[in-house]
Amino acid sequence: MHISDGVLPVAVTIGGYAVSAGLAAWSARRIHNRDLPKVAVITSAFFVASLVHIPFGPTSAHLLLPGLAGALLGPAAFLAIGLALLLQSLLFQFGGLTALGANALMMGIPAMICGWFFQTFKGSTLKRQTIVGAVAGAMGTVMAAAGLALMLMTGGEDFFGVAKIALAAHVPVIVIEGVMSGFTIGFLARVQPALLEPLFHKTAASAHD
Amino acid sequence: MTDVAYISVPLWYLPLLVLIPAAAAAGVLPWLKRRARTRTVPENDPDWSIPPVAEGFGQGISVIHRWDVRCKIVTLLAYSFAVASLRHLSLAAAALGLSLVVLLISKVWFRKVMLRVVALTGFLGMLLVVMPLTVPVHPGDTLVVFGSMDWLVVNLRGVVLAATIAAKAMAIALLMEPLLSTAPLPVTLYGLSRLGVPDMAGQMVLLSYRYLHVFTHEARRMTAGMQARGFAKKTDMDTLRALANFLGMLFVRSFERTERVFDAMQARGYNGRFPSPCDLRIQWQDILKTGIWVAAGAALVFFDYLKG
Repeated sequence: MHISDGVLPVAVTIGGYAVSAGLAAWSARRIHNRDLPKVAVITSAFFVASLVHIPFGPTSAHLLLPGLAGALLGPAAFLAIGLALLLQSLLFQFGGLTALGANALMMGIPAMICGWFFQTFKGSTLKRQTIVGAVAGAMGTVMAAAGLALMLMTGGEDFFGVAKIALAAHVPVIVIEGVMSGFTIGFLARVQPALLEPLFHKTAASAHD
Repeated sequence: MTDVAYISVPLWYLPLLVLIPAAAAAGVLPWLKRRARTRTVPENDPDWSIPPVAEGFGQGISVIHRWDVRCKIVTLLAYSFAVASLRHLSLAAAALGLSLVVLLISKVWFRKVMLRVVALTGFLGMLLVVMPLTVPVHPGDTLVVFGSMDWLVVNLRGVVLAATIAAKAMAIALLMEPLLSTAPLPVTLYGLSRLGVPDMAGQMVLLSYRYLHVFTHEARRMTAGMQARGFAKKTDMDTLRALANFLGMLFVRSFERTERVFDAMQARGYNGRFPSPCDLRIQWQDILKTGIWVAAGAALVFFDYLKG
């Protein structure tokens, strides 16, 4: 769920912009300049993937993918997620333009943490990678939901009820997200294990030069 | 006005209050969606990611089209923040009215505006339902109680708060089409880079926008293949596994494609920047438009402040 315009206090929206601009700059610095166009193209793949609807009883949920993005992209994940959210806001009005910084923080920071978690604990067996991937996926969604609730709560007491409902709405998504991330990472581990290494890492990339 | 005021309403009002908006939403939303989707053939849409032809630029069809892109971005962004800071329903409604006027002036595509409004309804609808029921009661609030059901108390302050947010969000959302589709996307991004945003950021937006459609197409082809093999979505593990393989395949193909795209770009002489799509010149009309608009935003904030 993305926060729309007019919900958050102005100080929070501007602060969100400032912090996420800083993080995006840090993220860009961790990537070789030459690889930035590649990150852009991959961002669109994540964007399309997040539009896939997963049936859940009578309704359906769409994926958030912060965990998976973190696991695959590493430090580039913050940049990719910021870019994807910008496009979502500009093209489809999911998430307001003024709330963009706050939205990027609540999705991007979990992605970075999950990326670190996955790269640290993934081990080398298929089973372990699948399980760690699933945990990372679920964890990413938990943190994104918590971030959303925290952001909403900056609006004051009046928003506590909304924050609780938003948290509750994420519970089924956490399970789905975890299972999907695990299976997807399992698939990639069998088909193209190279994708599970941190891509676009500056030291790794400069080794080619 | 320090006490909490109660308004008692007969119980039979409740189904009326719930059913009528629900029925209205159920009727209007699909209609809007259908209308937004079917009004034109998709191929007729102007694709604003295509760079402008040199001499065609700057002679747009409306006042907003002819506005210098840098002035437009700065003004609309500042104005959006001003609108987002409003606290009173009357001023949020005034901002919404102003946005509607701009929408009429700027002659943008109606169906795209409609799609944006439809996209907003989920979040705002949730706020409109949840906030009246969950806002804490303060002195001076007015509560509406339905008959003898004292667990269901609607706080009118919550209704006003949610309506204010909805009006602000709509007011800003309605400005997005005038902001974005009155100039080709490369021009907008060029304007951003001239404003000091790193060149690379704009290029990344442009590239991912382009490949968004490519990968959507790819995803659609893969879905068609799955359906041809008899796949249907259900709530079970097999569906999740199949969809996860689908995602994995999408990533594998897109990563491979990414490499090829980049090779092709380099083969055509890409050296880290695209050629600039146009010349930008600020004229006195641009400054005038910015001045008027900023004044409108300042007036909104000022009256909001006056109201306490």
